[in-house]
Amino acid sequence: MTTQPGELSLVLNGVDHTARPTWKLRETVEFYRDKLGLPLVHAITAKGWGRAKEQHADFIHFFFDAGKGSTIAFFYYIGTDQPPELMVPRGYMAMANHTAWRVETEQELLAWQKRLEVAGVQVSQSIKHEILESIYFRDPNHYPLEITRPLRAVERIDGMDAELTMAAALELADGGGWKNIEQLWRLKAKHVDAHQRSQETVS
Amino acid sequence: MSGFYVLDVPEFAAVVAAARQLDTCRVHAVRRGYIYVEFDGVVEIERAATNLSEAVWFGCLTGGLNGKIVSFDAERIKLAPTNEPVVFP
Repeated sequence: MTTQPGELSLVLNGVDHTARPTWKLRETVEFYRDKLGLPLVHAITAKGWGRAKEQHADFIHFFFDAGKGSTIAFFYYIGTDQPPELMVPRGYMAMANHTAWRVETEQELLAWQKRLEVAGVQVSQSIKHEILESIYFRDPNHYPLEITRPLRAVERIDGMDAELTMAAALELADGGGWKNIEQLWRLKAKHVDAHQRSQETVS
Repeated sequence: MSGFYVLDVPEFAAVVAAARQLDTCRVHAVRRGYIYVEFDGVVEIERAATNLSEAVWFGCLTGGLNGKIVSFDAERIKLAPTNEPVVFP
């Protein structure tokens, strides 16, 4: 999107908070505040949102400091039971919905892994994924969590490659019949061919 | 010409290095961020020759493939030329 003259360019300034419901109040506080050591920095208590038609439960909305001004927050809806559809399903697909916190060094990552193990939290071995190295674990509600460190900075070349990947992916998704990653890799090669030819035209 | 592109970033450099050791591959110079690894006939690359972790290995053709996958598992990739369409009707 092009910014018009005199118009402010809109940018986001990082994460303020993410939030999710919990039905395990004590376990959640003990996990985030005591085991992870994230300071409890704010708590809102309210009589519903004044939305009587929805029968909105009274609630506590509480926040833990996750660094650099961001918090991880929870809603505890008093006197309610967890609806089955809000339970974290088993399997890898539900793990896509996760929070990943950043640390800067391998030593810090390993120290967090040790801290979690000592606290009795089941935590994965560290795994290197191209530009990140991560450890994975779950909170008392089984929400997936990750702590990650950058292996290198994200550079312009990565964004250029991502644009070509997604151009091919959108073409396949729009066209139907997309079954596997081989199709994407094969179509992407056509996009990279064109990308290289476009430079030849310019130069 | 059959081949695959490798983005010119450190995490995939070992794939290019492994391809350089194969008679079946010709590694082109980096151009606009990608290295093209050209191959004739069937080419086989062993993961052991790259020392890549599985997390990176299974994404190592992400630069794009002019060819088809004959087989791809944790030990090796086998690629071949193809004229088949990308999406089958």
